[in-house]
Amino acid sequence: MSVQHWIDISASELTPDPVWKWLAESEGGGITVFLGTTRRITGDRETEQLSYEAHESMARKEMIRLAEEAAARWDIMRVAMLHRTGVVPVSHASVIIGVASAHRSEAFEASRWLIDELKVSVPIWKKEHFTDGTTEWQGDQWSR
Amino acid sequence: MTVTVRLFAALRELLGSSSIACELEPGSRVADLIERLTEAEPDLEAFDPVLRVAVNDAWSDRDTVLADGDEVALLTPVSGG
Repeated sequence: MSVQHWIDISASELTPDPVWKWLAESEGGGITVFLGTTRRITGDRETEQLSYEAHESMARKEMIRLAEEAAARWDIMRVAMLHRTGVVPVSHASVIIGVASAHRSEAFEASRWLIDELKVSVPIWKKEHFTDGTTEWQGDQWSR
Repeated sequence: MTVTVRLFAALRELLGSSSIACELEPGSRVADLIERLTEAEPDLEAFDPVLRVAVNDAWSDRDTVLADGDEVALLTPVSGG
């Protein structure tokens, strides 16, 4: 049976409330909700905002594949993978990964794996907009 | 035959468009398409070592034979999250 998943890519602001409430409908014993947020300081550079661009149809397909692979590896009940596109200001969320499971360890392990894999293979790109006015697309090499 | 090339992020900015229609000889492969695009935009060469390809939303490679109407996405290393 394929895992229940909520996959979305959208320019709307991401908030965790609807995510954990949807995960809680599984009536399991553990829920993790991870938010990846725009970091202000990287090394000696200061970020004003990030902007994201996605190959949406392929990114959705890849995220569904990851949700199903996570469900094959761990005993989990629901998976949410939401990614924002367009401008994401400092401290706002660009990505939310949520997992519901019967017991906590599966939710922790699967969510860690899902965010790591999303960064490896899902066709989404990040552009840094630094406070000095320069911009820079991220991603020099494929990590796999 | 005509294929549609989809471009994102740095490649979209380099080629100045998110979508390009490209006329190719029947039987052309992804490699032929990349060669054609590089002739038109030599700076594409700098991305060549890291370029990956998806045809109709499926990971593909340079030997993939293209068909009329295919959508070919040229992908630089991803950086989502």
